[in-house]
Amino acid sequence: MAAPFRKFCLHMSVRLSPGFQAGRCTTPRVSACLCSQQATSPSPENSRTDPLKPAQPEFIESKADFKWVERLMPRYQIPPVPEHPHYPTPSGWVPPTDPPPDLPYSVRRTRFSQIPVYEKFNKDGSRKQTIIAHIEGDIWALEKELEEFLPAVIGRNPAMQVNEVTRKVVIKGLVTEEVKKWLLEKGF
Amino acid sequence: MAAAGKGTRGALNALKNLPRVALTNIKAMPGALTKAPRRMGGKKKRKCGRGHKGQGQRGTRPRLGFEGGNTPFYLKIPKYGYYDDHSRRRQYPPLSLNRLQYLIDMGRVDTTEPIDLASLTISHAVKINPKRQHYGINLVEEGADIFQAKINIEVQYASELAIATVERNGGTISTAYYDPMALLILCNPIGFFAKGIPIPKRMLPPEDLVEYYTNAETRGYLADPQEIQKARLALAEKYGYKLPDLSLEEQFKMMSIRKDPRQILFGLGAGWLVDLNRKTVLKPTDPDLLEFYKS
Repeated sequence: MAAPFRKFCLHMSVRLSPGFQAGRCTTPRVSACLCSQQATSPSPENSRTDPLKPAQPEFIESKADFKWVERLMPRYQIPPVPEHPHYPTPSGWVPPTDPPPDLPYSVRRTRFSQIPVYEKFNKDGSRKQTIIAHIEGDIWALEKELEEFLPAVIGRNPAMQVNEVTRKVVIKGLVTEEVKKWLLEKGF
Repeated sequence: MAAAGKGTRGALNALKNLPRVALTNIKAMPGALTKAPRRMGGKKKRKCGRGHKGQGQRGTRPRLGFEGGNTPFYLKIPKYGYYDDHSRRRQYPPLSLNRLQYLIDMGRVDTTEPIDLASLTISHAVKINPKRQHYGINLVEEGADIFQAKINIEVQYASELAIATVERNGGTISTAYYDPMALLILCNPIGFFAKGIPIPKRMLPPEDLVEYYTNAETRGYLADPQEIQKARLALAEKYGYKLPDLSLEEQFKMMSIRKDPRQILFGLGAGWLVDLNRKTVLKPTDPDLLEFYKS
């Protein structure tokens, strides 16, 4: 019984007062006078004919304060790394040497200016791999140098895969920090 | 391209003119992947996989957890409210000093301006989701040894050593509360401005957080500034460093910038409205509105 009666009341109230909207709260808002051009510069005729429209502008417009909004625009690009007085920086970052080292291969930095060495685990964590990415030039020369360097770190001959198409070298075992340090010393 | 001959011979002739066989243009032999339909009683004939006799075969087993008449385990052990209200607890994702120093070194966080949650989320330094009960960030002391930046930072929670580390370098730190609605605006200000509604007032902290945010030792934003100065000196004495005199420095003006307790974004007051198309900010003049939005 309650629902049809309520519906009737709403219908009547809408009919009686066209501005009424059920269920809307009436918190103070200034948005009513913002979209139209008339609100910023109300003409005297309009203010007389329409009593709902304000005679005086209800707000002050400030272009200078928009600088605070411009600060809040989201950034979609990674900014260039600023120059530091000395390296490594407090967080331990070192830039690549300029000019690059004279080697048949090169390892490019990532877009975040980091050395592209990653860890990879399979689902249950039984297979652990270290991956070197962004290799340019003679990838087999890098493999040969890694074969000389890694036995001292892991205590055995390294198991490696060289992928010429994706330009990656995959090493069995986790040697991320050692390989990163080694590449950094080479100047990449 | 008509294949000369029929059947296998025709196919072989056609193959001569076709592109090289690769994984992209081969498919299984016809009938290789089809499965013969199961005949009636074909797989399980005698007992249909339900074993011999009893509750197992007849499907009359007792309820899960029933121990044959003993008080079951799930009733024997009393409940304890370790996880009561866990879905409504306030979460403060950590930001370590280590990570903050890295972001500053990489030029992703600007130290020449006050750092708040808005500037951190805009540069994608932290990710805050107020819908997951996040109430801001927790500045963690990890990396206190290497932290060297001089900053004016506003966080929602900070440990004592983190506060000491920032102040030792000549910076300032304050902890401030944002209600979920204010945090939503702080994390995505432009998305909020596009809605075309005025910036609301920031709410005051709830009852259980009032003590934290009015305490000078935690550098609460509602604490007395003179008390904070005393607490700064006390902390310097405790950790044994010399507190730099901020008033003598060039960046004193930047270092002393604080938000109003009712303000959400730097430079923009409550009740103001941002028009992104015309690049203006609109401020109300109605005395009722000014009364409503005043702090």
